[in-house]
Amino acid sequence: MSGLFLSNCNKTTTPKTGTIKISFRNLVGTQPILLDSSIFSNKFGEKYSITQLKYYISNICLINDKGKVTEKESYHLINQSLPASLSFTFTVEENSFSSIQFLIGVDSLRNVSGAQSGALDPLNDMFWTWNSGYVMAKMEGVSPQSNQVGSKIAYHIGGFTGVNSVLKTVQLDFPIGKKLLVEQGKVNEINLEADLNLWWQHTNNIKITELPVCTTPGEMAKKIAENYSAMFSIKEIVNN
Amino acid sequence: MKTKILILTIVIFGGITILFDACKKSDEHAISSGYHPTYLTFKIPAGWPTPPIDIFKNNPLTEEGFQLGKKLFYDGRLSKDGNFPCASCHQQFAAFSTYDHQFSHGFNNSFTFRNAPPLFNLAWMKEMHWDGGINHIEVQPLAPITDITEMAENIENLLKKLSIDTAYPRMFAAAFGDTTINSQRMLKALSQFMGSIQSFNSKYDQVKRGEASFTLAEQNGYTTFKAKCNSCHTEPLFTDNSFRNNGLSLDPFLKDIGRMRITGKPSDSLVFKVPSLRNIQYTGPFMHDGRIFSLLQIVTHYQTGIDITQPTLDPLLKNRLSITNQEKVDLVEFLQTLTDDTLLHDKRLVEPK
Repeated sequence: MSGLFLSNCNKTTTPKTGTIKISFRNLVGTQPILLDSSIFSNKFGEKYSITQLKYYISNICLINDKGKVTEKESYHLINQSLPASLSFTFTVEENSFSSIQFLIGVDSLRNVSGAQSGALDPLNDMFWTWNSGYVMAKMEGVSPQSNQVGSKIAYHIGGFTGVNSVLKTVQLDFPIGKKLLVEQGKVNEINLEADLNLWWQHTNNIKITELPVCTTPGEMAKKIAENYSAMFSIKEIVNN
Repeated sequence: MKTKILILTIVIFGGITILFDACKKSDEHAISSGYHPTYLTFKIPAGWPTPPIDIFKNNPLTEEGFQLGKKLFYDGRLSKDGNFPCASCHQQFAAFSTYDHQFSHGFNNSFTFRNAPPLFNLAWMKEMHWDGGINHIEVQPLAPITDITEMAENIENLLKKLSIDTAYPRMFAAAFGDTTINSQRMLKALSQFMGSIQSFNSKYDQVKRGEASFTLAEQNGYTTFKAKCNSCHTEPLFTDNSFRNNGLSLDPFLKDIGRMRITGKPSDSLVFKVPSLRNIQYTGPFMHDGRIFSLLQIVTHYQTGIDITQPTLDPLLKNRLSITNQEKVDLVEFLQTLTDDTLLHDKRLVEPK
């Protein structure tokens, strides 16, 4: 009798879900990025403009003091030239969270699992065809400090195995006292900012005069990845 | 001349394919009414090792997928100017290598960077290419398709060309359930065809199965092979799929450093994949840059040609190989028992009409 009662009860409590929207705003310092036109200056006074900016965000999870919830099939390509790629939504069971964690890049398993689709489609021009694996982050542009043809700069940061791995896990805590609520029927937001100037200087100094191009896995790619792993910050948490 | 005939043949067959498809249009609604692929089983020959990964685990092998892959493999439209299908460098009569070419020909009168390897038993090959840069069979075609000295096409263009074809939407639907044409499906279909190319019916295999017997010279050659070659060219695949430096000098023009290009490690300088010796009678010229032209010259390299001063030389070759001239001739006799006529003439692998 009680068993029957319980199962009836379970039927009525399908978990309620809400929607989370995550947005990325790419900046240099506080300057917004207009591809091909804005001129920026890095910490070494080197001028540059950006023609292309893309990076992978994957394995997103939301964290509270009881544990974490991971987005299913969590692969996103942030592409500055495609405004629609700068934000995305997913649904989560009702809850509240105090931090977000994600990987910059594509986890090593998906780098060795054959042909992929969606954000991981090689059509996105973020897959090395001669040395299988994803370019985790890509910045191209122009700088008078570059000694390359057309004063080009190109940073294709990749490498997923062993000592050459550039995969970086980022965890960002929400402002003290601020929780992200997941509520049925609502779209609550996490707004992130990325300061591109950190590519040149954080734990490592990367000068355009010395390194205008980095397109293979290895020591320099790792240094740039260490730098850009610190570029993200929480702008605001919006519970609508 | 040979190349011209090949290209002409492809153009003519391409034309015929389109005509045929126009006649077959009435099939279309039959496919949309349900997805019923014919599943195939990939057979591992008795006594062979289990492949390192199951390449068909996330890409179930079907007759429809295989046929689609075969059409793609022979289709010039995968290249920028239409002249270079996969099959232009991977010819069945040469065990899917380029017959009698040190380097293959690619887009805009280019030579390829390396000698085209034969294609068979790829299910056992964990890393592909001479430098092991490719980590999965499904992503391999991206390299030759996009390389400017090979097919020189970009994937977006290529998919556009496939989608305006009359046959492809129907064949993608038969293979994958609907008419969507995308890179993942194209690569999975190619992988079904390439992964199905197997070689296990050479005279050597028949002798092993008790269906044939070696001549005296072949038997002597096999004895030498087991003593001197088998540790790297391990039976039954005739490769251990490892990467080693076999003592070829650095070509000053090509400056091909081999696997170091991929790993960045100085210990991988001049290190290349150990190729299978199966069908070696038809896969020459030999080595990563096709610098050796005959089977006898290969053995000569191991007798006297190895550059023993190279720091990354494989330790097994540090004293070169002591092989007498009689053993050398017998070894070449044995190597020719690795020719698999079943593979070279398999009608199932021939260009679709």
